Amino acid sequence: MSQYAMVIDLAKCVGCHACAIACRAEWRVPSEEGYRRNWVKRIGPEKTPFGIAYTFYPGLCNHCDHPVCVDVCPADPITRNFTSAKDGTNKKMEIKATFKEPFTGIVLIDKERCIGCGACVEACPYGARYLDETLDEPKADKCTFCFERISAGQEPACVQTCIADARIFGDLKDPNSKVSKLIKAGAKRLQSDVVQIGPNVYWKGSKKDLHALFKNFAPKQRTWEDVLNGPDLMKRSILRAALASSKRSG
Amino acid sequence: MRRRDFLKLSASTTLALASLGLETKEGFLKPCSTLAAAPKSLPGSLGAKEIPSVCEMCFWRCPIVAKIKNGKLVKIEGNPKSPANGKRVCARGNSGVQLLYDPDRLKYPLKRTGERGEGKWAKISWKEALDEIAFNMDKIRKKYGPHSLAFFDHGASAEFMREIFQALGTENYSSEPAFYQCVGPVAVAYLTTMGYVVSGTRQYIDMANAKAMLLVGTHIGENVHVSHVREFIQGLSKGAKLVVVDPRFSTAANKADIYLPIRPGTDTALLLAWINYVIENKLYDEPFVPRNCTGFNELKSAVKKYTFEWAAPICDLKIEDMKAAIELLAKARPNTAIHPGRHSTWYGRGDVGRHHCLSILASLFGSIGAPGGIYFPTPIKKGHAHCVACKGENEVEEPDVSLRDKYPFIEALPGTPTAEIIKATISGKPYPIKLWGINGVNIIQTIPNPYETIKAIKNLDFIFCEEMMPGETAIWSDIILPGATYLERYDSVYTYDLLTPYVTVRQPVTEPLFEVKTPYWIAKELAKRLNLDCFRCGNEKELVEEELKQMGLSLEKLNAEGGLLKFKANPYRKPDELTMPTDTGKILLSVPDFAEEDLDAVPKFVATPAPPKGFARLIYGRSPVHTFSRTMNNLWLNHEWPENHAWINDEVAAKLKIQDGETIILENEHGKRSNPIKAKVTPGIRPDCIYMAHGFGCKSKHLTKAFKKGASDQYLITTYENDPFMGASSHRTSFVRIVKKDVVKDIPDLRPLPKELPRFELNKA
Repeated sequence: MSQYAMVIDLAKCVGCHACAIACRAEWRVPSEEGYRRNWVKRIGPEKTPFGIAYTFYPGLCNHCDHPVCVDVCPADPITRNFTSAKDGTNKKMEIKATFKEPFTGIVLIDKERCIGCGACVEACPYGARYLDETLDEPKADKCTFCFERISAGQEPACVQTCIADARIFGDLKDPNSKVSKLIKAGAKRLQSDVVQIGPNVYWKGSKKDLHALFKNFAPKQRTWEDVLNGPDLMKRSILRAALASSKRSG
Repeated sequence: MRRRDFLKLSASTTLALASLGLETKEGFLKPCSTLAAAPKSLPGSLGAKEIPSVCEMCFWRCPIVAKIKNGKLVKIEGNPKSPANGKRVCARGNSGVQLLYDPDRLKYPLKRTGERGEGKWAKISWKEALDEIAFNMDKIRKKYGPHSLAFFDHGASAEFMREIFQALGTENYSSEPAFYQCVGPVAVAYLTTMGYVVSGTRQYIDMANAKAMLLVGTHIGENVHVSHVREFIQGLSKGAKLVVVDPRFSTAANKADIYLPIRPGTDTALLLAWINYVIENKLYDEPFVPRNCTGFNELKSAVKKYTFEWAAPICDLKIEDMKAAIELLAKARPNTAIHPGRHSTWYGRGDVGRHHCLSILASLFGSIGAPGGIYFPTPIKKGHAHCVACKGENEVEEPDVSLRDKYPFIEALPGTPTAEIIKATISGKPYPIKLWGINGVNIIQTIPNPYETIKAIKNLDFIFCEEMMPGETAIWSDIILPGATYLERYDSVYTYDLLTPYVTVRQPVTEPLFEVKTPYWIAKELAKRLNLDCFRCGNEKELVEEELKQMGLSLEKLNAEGGLLKFKANPYRKPDELTMPTDTGKILLSVPDFAEEDLDAVPKFVATPAPPKGFARLIYGRSPVHTFSRTMNNLWLNHEWPENHAWINDEVAAKLKIQDGETIILENEHGKRSNPIKAKVTPGIRPDCIYMAHGFGCKSKHLTKAFKKGASDQYLITTYENDPFMGASSHRTSFVRIVKKDVVKDIPDLRPLPKELPRFELNKA
């Protein structure tokens, strides 16, 4: 069992956006506004208690320990057999249309079964998902930590292209991995008192950079609760599908 | 071109890479058997055919591999064989895919049908286009003489066409904005003091091994040249201290140990005070300076008057900060990277002097040839393509009055200052210029005062360009030749002579799309029509093979090595074995040749005019996802960064009641107004300047994604002066104030100006 994770080093990052575009190229993410699996947001220059900061929020799906996007998925669960690519062991698990893969800890979407209701998109407090409405049948989409690439022995596209080597990827369950060591040394999860769902992307950097990052982008809304307490999820999916089809015909 | 010569690298990449077990130590998954069994359905770029090549989304030219699936380019990655960038490419490198497939590309030759600048064209054949260009070149040359032809060029696409202009005998055969609008002053400063171009296309500065670094107005990280950024970050990661001097809090400033928010235009005052302090306090390298430098005594007495007390009010900096910074840099010597700078056409007067100061500082620290300092290139002897050389035509003969005459240190360099060409085209003096050829450069968005450039264009008998995209330069042309992108052609063998030397070759990843042709084919066809015997290879592939053959290589051999061969670097010199490539073998701290031309042997501080009352100085820089004005229409890059913002100091904005994100207009000292642009209100810029990223505010409606996005800095730069050494045009000599909802708002004076800094006189504007 692994839990893949990423550490992003803001001391190295220069905000060049190579990661965001390598991701878009690799997975053909549509270039409509708001569609992104991987992004760079610029922060500042702004004042912090530690001096002026001009830094970046290079973000992606956090592949959380407690993925609230999975909680809200209304698709009927089915049982699926998973095989570890590492050692061939098998494991049966009930999954909805979005699920946390048991051998890697990567949160994935079963596109065949996604009904395009958008609940997971709204639930994610990091805004890491989008609903791809360029498709005939809209589907949720997001970063997969390049599951297919790492399955083929390659690095995630954003890690490979990072010109400053600011993105470090590896297995948290391996205490000798670089990510484990960096986290032990103090790399931080982007979270607040209100939102703590176990994100597996960590940030390191100067005090002022981390201060600015957390102030601007640590999630402060329990977005998934609105979804869970909102209109019936099945109703929502029917509404969403009707809206999408009227958009297409109109 | 070498369209049919695809590399047949069968290396099915997924499996190959997988078997390398990339990063398996980190515990990445082993290849998944189900994926490997069905290669046709591999997702993403997995399973693509790979072709090694060389990027040209910018001129840094990183080695790449292009990934092809079903005959289409799907992705570009760095060439893992490259010791410079490895598997990495920047945002622009990644986006080459969208240059190749941009639906707005120029697809076939065009002839202007409306007025110049109107952007109305008719499609014509290659024969008609080339016949018409050759007819006009020949006619105008015969009527007005060879110098009536001028060529503006940039990048690999222009290299062959330049041969034609040179063969036709014009002194104006290479008027490179890359030189006269960018690196000219720094190149001249170092060529003169150190004997080689420490900073031109490349910067030989060993940041990766420095213990301390100094950046003066250099925006590494916003200016993204991958290996250069990597060396900067490697140096910082190893603990190098960093001093950044910049009126704006840049990406690099954020990483600095000491940041000096200097008043624009006063960098030389700071540098002279530092030089004086280093000498007075004997912080220089005592054995190095007398042994390896000349002119120390002249330097010492010339800088004596430049004290911190004198510099502080001019630079608007605190004495203790200036002192702490130079102490920090001196402590690390000789492993101190005094970055030579790159884009150096700031103020006209004093630009060469500023970089001369940087060269002096590096020399006082004994950092020349030392790890972490200025190093020496490792030249790789490149084969010569005998098939490219014009035979039987005129040598370039200087005209009676040359446009180069005014500039005593232009000699070593080809071409003519762009400003001189533009003025001569307008006035007809000292000789008429009636035809412009343009290749690979958008001159309207590159040269200061585009109004003047356009006036000159209106005066021409004929103007043509070779371009990939229908930008501003294309809309002002009579004939437009659609050139192949770097992904559709071979180019001359490429050698890299920095810390990780290599040789590699650009190779096409697809045949040219539409009706576009390669630069070699175009030049060859044009030469033929002008009866010039210049290009005797059948195509570029033959040319590349000829160059490689002389290096004991061939395309086949190179491709068997992954498209790239590494060489061992020889960058460092022991101080007692250091011989500089100057006449004396030493570094010139004081340059007697400058004095002979009535210029300063040791730099002096000469003030550039300060902003007039109510105005701020316009400064500019780069968006890290764009190259010049060239990439704003790229689908992916446009999505990432569609428009620029005007950075306005937060105190100024509060006084003028301007909110962050609000749309404003900028008006310059000549009343020229910008496109609407959003304000970025920040404490990260001084109150006496306004910053914007260069290259936006596209005025060609044929670039459908870039058109009217953001504002153009170039259209606001209408005051410029020319560097007296080599004729470069200054870019930071214009001023702006803010227009909001048709109300002109004066910039408040929040920093007192000392008497040494006279203001720009508006009535002279």
